[in-house]
Amino acid sequence: MKSVRDMVAVISMLVDDEPGVMQRVMGEFTRKRINVETIVVGKCEKPDKARIVLSVTDPVKAQAVIEHLRMLQEVNEAETVDESRHESYLLMMNDFGKARMTGSIEELSNVIEKSQPKKYISTVSAL
Amino acid sequence: MELLERQGVEVVFGIPGGVLLPLYDELVDAKFRHILARHEQCVGHMADGYARALRKPGVCIATSGPGATNLVTGVATAFMDSSPLVAITGQVATGVLGADAFQEADSFGIMMPITKHNFRVMDPKQLPKTMIRAFKIATTGRFGPVHIDIPIDVLTSDIPEKELSKDYPIPIPKRNLSQMLDAVKILESAERPAILVGGGAIWSNSGLEIIKLAEILMAPIITTLMGKGVVPDTHPLVLGVVGMHGRQGANYVLHNCDTLLAVGTRFSDRVTGKVSDFARNTKIIHVDIDASEIGKNVKGHIGLVGDAWTVTNALIAGLQSRKIKQSEWKKRIKEIKEACTCDFDLSGEPIKPQKVIKELSRYLPDDAIVTTEVGQNQMWMAHFFEMSGTRQFITSGGLGTMGFGFPASIGAKVAKPEKAVCDVAGDGSLQMVSQEFSTAVENNIPVIVCLMNNGWLGMVKQWQKLFYEKRYMATMLGRSPDFVKLAQAYGADAIRVEKPSEIKEAIKRAVKSDVAYLIDVVIDPEEDILPMIPPGKKLTDTIYGRCCFSIKG
Repeated sequence: MKSVRDMVAVISMLVDDEPGVMQRVMGEFTRKRINVETIVVGKCEKPDKARIVLSVTDPVKAQAVIEHLRMLQEVNEAETVDESRHESYLLMMNDFGKARMTGSIEELSNVIEKSQPKKYISTVSAL
Repeated sequence: MELLERQGVEVVFGIPGGVLLPLYDELVDAKFRHILARHEQCVGHMADGYARALRKPGVCIATSGPGATNLVTGVATAFMDSSPLVAITGQVATGVLGADAFQEADSFGIMMPITKHNFRVMDPKQLPKTMIRAFKIATTGRFGPVHIDIPIDVLTSDIPEKELSKDYPIPIPKRNLSQMLDAVKILESAERPAILVGGGAIWSNSGLEIIKLAEILMAPIITTLMGKGVVPDTHPLVLGVVGMHGRQGANYVLHNCDTLLAVGTRFSDRVTGKVSDFARNTKIIHVDIDASEIGKNVKGHIGLVGDAWTVTNALIAGLQSRKIKQSEWKKRIKEIKEACTCDFDLSGEPIKPQKVIKELSRYLPDDAIVTTEVGQNQMWMAHFFEMSGTRQFITSGGLGTMGFGFPASIGAKVAKPEKAVCDVAGDGSLQMVSQEFSTAVENNIPVIVCLMNNGWLGMVKQWQKLFYEKRYMATMLGRSPDFVKLAQAYGADAIRVEKPSEIKEAIKRAVKSDVAYLIDVVIDPEEDILPMIPPGKKLTDTIYGRCCFSIKG
């Protein structure tokens, strides 16, 4: 069986921080029929720029969409991120309260499997 | 308006509306020409035809809401064929934007996936920057339409003079010629090379360079529909258009070459047929200005990223002093070209459509611009019309928009008034845009419309005939107008042609006419566009019809 990390590709983008950018970026994924697993968007060290980090489950398709993302005017940089730089976040909750964790994608998916939280959200970032 | 003048705009095509009143008030004093069309879709096609004829941006204007949604087809057509359009739409005031105001639509969202880029200008100070960037984006790298949505209050605001004179550079896409040496090595030692040329070569005007390269390699040149006309059909190495309804000589070469140099083409399904079976044993060198095209449809080959003109010249420089391999294939090009000139009987009534195209080839001027609608008329033109090298062929290849050709011909005629411009139409297509005879007559734009009138939505009918056991549904146009009277009602001139002998005289008269001229040619409704490779099938599945192409090996 494929391990979790074999099935994850992470794309990192530096984009102009303007209205409509997310719609345009997501439009490329819609058109190429790629389901996006996780999204992290936020301000970054450069003024008027933002970073978008996405994870998808198909590394081949991820590679194919990169060139299309680079064609977008507001996308300054787009690259797939090497596995060693992946960072996973987990926020989970059960009857006793909340917990937040960071770790590798694999570690956190093991945590989810073992602890079976009542509610959780998990995402992937990278630098 | 001043911003448009600063971009060197000479003509805009548009239809006003409530939110555009401030702009149209300024247009009263504008130095450039405004052409009022009758439908926003056609506004887009006119600007598109203008852009393709001149290879510079066409500007079109439509109002908010329905104006913008009508314009969508025009913009999408330009997007699929990489035509540089600047489309401006009015928008409701920023204060009510998002409140479902009268004539409000989310034009910004609607246009996003069908433009190279689009803007919604919420701050008047951003307007100069937006306008400058729009024109640059449309014409940098791979061309494409850019849309600007401008709320009415942004249009009425004053812009400080210092904002007007700034410049805003945009990044130029990088070339990547790292595989150039591999490409040169493959080409020089190819046994059976061929060059496939697409629309990219038209936009970068590289016909002469393609010919030169082909002569060095002694390789046949085949073109896509969008590449038609970039090289003269009379050249001994040029074998014409490939694809579903292409020349059999060209298709033979496409499917039998061992090395294919593809320049400015995206390997559309209409060219490749079933893509998983396409060129399995062929080495492909793919030249495209758009890095995202390399490997998109046909994978795993050599990619050279750059414009067709630059890369072709680089290949010429790399190859001209090399020893190019001689081969049996190269000697056979003449034989293939000759095998593809079958001359079947085109006399008789009703008129055969192929006869009309051959007469157009003969009697339209050598530098004419032809446009087509979409369907059988387009494919007859693609297959049978002869390009001299100075003629231009303008068609909606990607989106396949019926009703494109007539307004596009109006745009092309505005761009190049000294040239004869002829739209080859079908009776289905023309009825989608016939109101534009008003525009042509009112603005003194004497285009020719050669109507291939067979009373059917012919291409769909042909598919029903061939693949759906002749169960014709909704393809017969039972009650069409008298097109001659229709054109005359708009003030155009028109003639009906029912005999093959009358075609020549009609064309000659149309070329001389100083008003828009319709030639209503009654053609044989049972004549199909053949040969045809059925969709998703292989070359060996070709339906030949009258085509008698045959070649050994």
